[in-house]
Amino acid sequence: MSAPCRIGLLQLADSAPVIVAHALDIFSKYGVKVEPIIVPSWANIADGLVWNGLDGAIMFAPLAIMTTLGQRGRAIALRPGLPLSREGNKIVLRGQQTEQEQWYSDGDKHRAFQLWAATLNRKPRLGVVHLYSTHYLILTRFLKSISICRDTKTEIVIMPPANMIEALATGEIDGFCAGPPWGTDAALKHLAFPVASSASIVPGHLEKMLFLKETWKTENPDATHRIYNAVCDAAKICTAPEQTAYITNLLSAPLTACGLDLPTEAVATVMPASPAVPDTMIFDTMPRSAASSFGWMIQDMQTEGWLTAPLPETLSNLNWL
Amino acid sequence: MMKVLLADENSHRAGALARLLEADTSLDVILLNPHASLIEAVRCHAPDIVLVDISRADRDALDSVRALAASPLERPVALFVDEDDESLMEDAFAAGVCSYNILDTPVKNVKPLLRSAIALYHRFQKTNAELLAAKKTLFERETIDRAKLLFMKHECCKEEEAYRWFRKQAMQQSRKIIEIASDYLSNNAGKPVE
Repeated sequence: MSAPCRIGLLQLADSAPVIVAHALDIFSKYGVKVEPIIVPSWANIADGLVWNGLDGAIMFAPLAIMTTLGQRGRAIALRPGLPLSREGNKIVLRGQQTEQEQWYSDGDKHRAFQLWAATLNRKPRLGVVHLYSTHYLILTRFLKSISICRDTKTEIVIMPPANMIEALATGEIDGFCAGPPWGTDAALKHLAFPVASSASIVPGHLEKMLFLKETWKTENPDATHRIYNAVCDAAKICTAPEQTAYITNLLSAPLTACGLDLPTEAVATVMPASPAVPDTMIFDTMPRSAASSFGWMIQDMQTEGWLTAPLPETLSNLNWL
Repeated sequence: MMKVLLADENSHRAGALARLLEADTSLDVILLNPHASLIEAVRCHAPDIVLVDISRADRDALDSVRALAASPLERPVALFVDEDDESLMEDAFAAGVCSYNILDTPVKNVKPLLRSAIALYHRFQKTNAELLAAKKTLFERETIDRAKLLFMKHECCKEEEAYRWFRKQAMQQSRKIIEIASDYLSNNAGKPVE
């Protein structure tokens, strides 16, 4: 390979393995060149893969599946990639100590949600990062688990994760489900309180994967496993407790210094070795079966009516099923 | 008359594109207010075509309305894709612009607008590249100065000696001084635990 492999990612703590592999030059050790490209939206990730702006990307499987099937823009074949992270998403609702105490003290969460919603004087506006996201599916499961009808009792607002804190502060949204560290950041800033972690709704769920375009893999036949090996090495570093300070500094460094410009305290809190909060993100590159990785997502996507025939057959041909 | 909403936070570029498109009297061109929400603007103005700067972070909201169970838009929009004209789509993405359309907007109405936007965005990219090059030169100069200062502190020497050391390293390794300076800085600060 001569040109670097362009990997798109968003400003999220679970993008760490690729950022660390780049910062520590681990890719060079495996004889590959990689250029991480930080993009502002998930739409840019999908469009970048389709229209030759990216060779690979970190993303969640539902968006990869819908992109593969041509359900947003043109279809581009993507097969399941390298798992990067599990769990780590948080659902938070607007409020401070009083609202939080009310929520936790009420054993009937359906009633607790209704009492909380009644204080808003409008239908609760809940943010998720993209429709075709694990966050949307997890938020849907959470609302269902407390017998709240998503479509009639809430309004879903789509916005980038990095915008959610400001949207909470200005009253544009009343809660959200987002990846690390944004739920923790909202709690640390006393804007919202956590009501569920994704780990409590779908234990051990796959969150982010590193995808490489099939065309790029064909053109660079021996580079895929080198990139995967480098990212696996970096994921181990991300998990080591003694590296927490280094990873936190790196992720909170400015974009111009190869960082992700994330809030320092929130990142330190969500790191895998952090004792401060339960259900932190987990960096885990161990491949698992398609059924255990994607089964619950595909089932929920079918329930939403997104995967009508013959789409499941295409997925099966690409090893998603 | 076809209503076109321009969503670009670069007000110079948005203004230039608006003037270009307004020459066609069959178009009603609307500029999105700076910092206004894209989806709110689409709901408020109900355009036929939305030309969007792809670096807008709130593009995901438009991406999702088509399949959202309770869509906030009465006339759902979708990303414009011309399956038969791959180079147009790649040019648009490379230039940094895309189009969202009301689902039944004819392709022939979209392509000339997208082509105008691509040409204009390319011109702005060129100017921006020149600006970035100037910034890069400044950044490199500052990096070399920081590395020299650190070297002077570590080696208790004067600036001239520090400069000679960096120049010698660059010549011996056939690399640029900026690369030697960057390596020196990263090797002497911010390393992970061994």
